Amino acid sequence: MAARALTQCVRSLSRSTTRLYQGSVVARSSSALLISNDRTFSAISCSQGARRIEQSRISQLTRQYGGLPPLTIEAIGERVMYVLKLYDKINPEKLQASSHFMKDLGLDSLDQVEIIMAMEDEFGFEIPDAAAEKLMTPEEIVQYIADKKDIYE
Amino acid sequence: MASTAATRAASGAVKVVKPIFSRDINEAKRRVRDLYRAWYREAPNTVTLYQLDISTAQARDKVREMFNKNKHITDPRVIDMLVIKGKMELEETIHVWKQKTHVMRYFSETETPRPTDFLSKFYQGHDP
Repeated sequence: MAARALTQCVRSLSRSTTRLYQGSVVARSSSALLISNDRTFSAISCSQGARRIEQSRISQLTRQYGGLPPLTIEAIGERVMYVLKLYDKINPEKLQASSHFMKDLGLDSLDQVEIIMAMEDEFGFEIPDAAAEKLMTPEEIVQYIADKKDIYE
Repeated sequence: MASTAATRAASGAVKVVKPIFSRDINEAKRRVRDLYRAWYREAPNTVTLYQLDISTAQARDKVREMFNKNKHITDPRVIDMLVIKGKMELEETIHVWKQKTHVMRYFSETETPRPTDFLSKFYQGHDP
């Protein structure tokens, strides 16, 4: 999304005159700085000229915060399945959203502990053991994480 | 009296004993899982701290092997005792009270299998 805006900026600036050649370098660096989910800023800097770009760059003494993209249930599901496919004790062809770790995939209770720890590392929050021992399918893991992170349809 | 003896035999003669930590098998399994988590997270730090020549995957496999050795045990008190011993080992490993040789002893422990046929027993010595 931001990459598309950036390429549009670069194309529109390269189409302008050679006098603005230095300005396009400034615009590219400024739009690279503003790449963090701030489409409006980069659009504004693209539509204006080089001088305006410099002025707007100086006047944009605003604070920019970094952060993760907002989680959705599909995104959680994708990440969970990605991590499970990377696990070497699981056959990635047999893996589905509803496959039980112990009954379908033939894993151990300690393997399930390892999987829950991998989920903890992926999503960055602790899953206590009392709740973790009940999470036996990828579906349940996705539901638990969505519960904990307050994500709902 | 015969009927009470029969019911006692039928129930499997379960004795009630004083537990060490966990009251039933599920609590004991929870302790085992917590210990496994701690060892799993500690394995890469151990490999770095002691400058061992093994990979993290090998260390984790060895942890799994040590846990699997006692997989068959069902008595909660025995499981608690083993968890306590495992925690002591973990504490010694984390605080570097051990040395490289103590940690590598997990890997070099080999038992020579006892001979089964007559000639091997003869070569080894008289061991009835």
